Amino acid sequence: MRQLRSKSYAARSANSVSARFGISRYRQIGTLSGLLSLSLVLWILSPYFLTVSNLLNIAEQTSIIAVVAAGMTFVIIAGGIDLSVGSLLAFSGVVMASSLSAGRSIPLALMTGLAVGLLCGIANGLLISIGRLPPFIATLGMMSIARGGALVFTEGRPISGFSETFRSIATTNVLRVPFPVIVMLGVYILCHLALARTKLGRYAYAIGGNETAALLSGVNVHLYKTMVYGLSGICSALAAVLLTARLNSAQPIAGINYELDAIAAVVVGGTSLMGGEGSVAGTLIGALIIGVLRNGLNLLAVSSFIQQIVIGFVIVIAVLMDTFFKGRGK
Amino acid sequence: MKRLVIVVTFTLAAQYGCNRAADQRDRPRIALVLKTLNNPFFIEMQKGAEDAARKSGVDLIVQAAEREVDVEKQMQIIENLIESKVAALCVTPSGSKEIVAAIVKANRAHIPVVVVDTRVDAAALKDAAGTVSTFIGSDNFEGGRLAGEFMAKALGGHGEVAILEGIPGHETGDSRLRGFHEAIKKEPGLKVVASQTANWERDQGFNVFQNILQSHPAVRGLFACSDLMALGAVEAIAAAKKTGKIAVIGFDAFDEARDAVRRGTMVATIAQSPATMGTLAVENAVRLIHGESVPETIPVDIKLITNESEPGRK
Repeated sequence: MRQLRSKSYAARSANSVSARFGISRYRQIGTLSGLLSLSLVLWILSPYFLTVSNLLNIAEQTSIIAVVAAGMTFVIIAGGIDLSVGSLLAFSGVVMASSLSAGRSIPLALMTGLAVGLLCGIANGLLISIGRLPPFIATLGMMSIARGGALVFTEGRPISGFSETFRSIATTNVLRVPFPVIVMLGVYILCHLALARTKLGRYAYAIGGNETAALLSGVNVHLYKTMVYGLSGICSALAAVLLTARLNSAQPIAGINYELDAIAAVVVGGTSLMGGEGSVAGTLIGALIIGVLRNGLNLLAVSSFIQQIVIGFVIVIAVLMDTFFKGRGK
Repeated sequence: MKRLVIVVTFTLAAQYGCNRAADQRDRPRIALVLKTLNNPFFIEMQKGAEDAARKSGVDLIVQAAEREVDVEKQMQIIENLIESKVAALCVTPSGSKEIVAAIVKANRAHIPVVVVDTRVDAAALKDAAGTVSTFIGSDNFEGGRLAGEFMAKALGGHGEVAILEGIPGHETGDSRLRGFHEAIKKEPGLKVVASQTANWERDQGFNVFQNILQSHPAVRGLFACSDLMALGAVEAIAAAKKTGKIAVIGFDAFDEARDAVRRGTMVATIAQSPATMGTLAVENAVRLIHGESVPETIPVDIKLITNESEPGRK
């Protein structure tokens, strides 16, 4: 009997996942049309906007925050939040950089950096799942710990000057497409598949939608929550690789406010902060909207202060529209 | 609906920039990328640059990241300006080494680069095969040395001294610090008991110096690598009811700091001329656009402002 009941829970939660997935796909079209109309306006206003080199430039600039936001999407879908991403980026970045400076091979240094991100992410996950801390508090703590760790590790100084080979991670172009953009696309394809096709993805929706129901239907909530935060940590560390190669420098103060940029990309992309629904494709579009906007405002030589106001308005309006449509759907 | 709202908001907000861009598209456009615009130093620089732009008949685009140390955002701004095909780029680097990648991109687009205020790391620039047309700025080392010498004079050659540093690894602050230490070395009576960063920020200047006062109550002199940090510390001194007992020397000579020197809450500040820097930056950028040659380094005066040098000024 008990088994029967848990099966029906599982079936129901699987149903609701596919239903939500449908809605979010519909909403992606809304977000995409937002991106396209924004581009249209910029194309009319600036002769420099719609050129191949500028579009690639935007994609490259967006790649770092987009990679961070991919992991953040999983966390938010699972009903959490990760405020530590910027600090994890800095911490894993400086650890990787010091390992490079110490003459270790590039693959080894990359693995070290990614491992730091993963471990810190897992620590977040354990604090939240087993420690029962609210995600806001656990990752707020980690945000401070990892930032301090990065500063202690480097004595506050940036680590810079890497080999040509390492820098080529950011400077190589494949058929004119900058390599960071390819990394970003790779991350998004993998994350999309993981979210749509794997247990990790489906359980993330289930946990974010109704944690008790997920638990009762036999989902190992502790494990999957921890994995989600671990994934976010890896994404931050991967972004650190791109940023360090791009600037030829790893700074302990890198990535400040990245958590806010990443959360903005996720919510503009239509993922609900309440958890249980959303998509990585939406996040990519959300990150691009913010990237296109910043680029366009620069091209139009809009004052830096006004830029902040415009970006704030776009975030608020995008989410407002989203809630509006959601209300209507019901 | 969504489309409409986004279009309308955006068009309204962009109107200002658009008008400027559309009206004057045939005049040469010069970009000035500052570290930040929430610091009087850079606002002065912007004013100087705008005056020069008006006189030379060029268009000036001023952009800055929200945070002074955001090297990545500064790089993005430069990339975007390169895409908008500016004729020359003037920049105050947020990071001496991190700026190099952006300079190389400007080089590739054949846009001359004028570096202002903070030097680019010479080794990193050479390593990346980048070139800078000219550097315009003051000798921060010399400024630090002036501050050190005056500190010795103000304290009568003996006493405990504290330092508020800028962001570590920042060329400007590091030079000021080295200059200060160079002068202090010759004064055996002066002892540096604390040297900590307040990250160029006023509120951190307050907090950090308050903490220093707790651990070293006998401190008689403070050298802050910027006026913002010095002014923060002045408040901390007032809170500890020690106003007038600690000789505070700042750097940058903001109006507020000059006032403090006149009132006696600070003993000195070092004057750079940000407005002159801005003017020189634009003038030399114009020269570069016309294919004229410019000197590799253009020094800008630096001088000590004390109670004696100030009283005539209102």
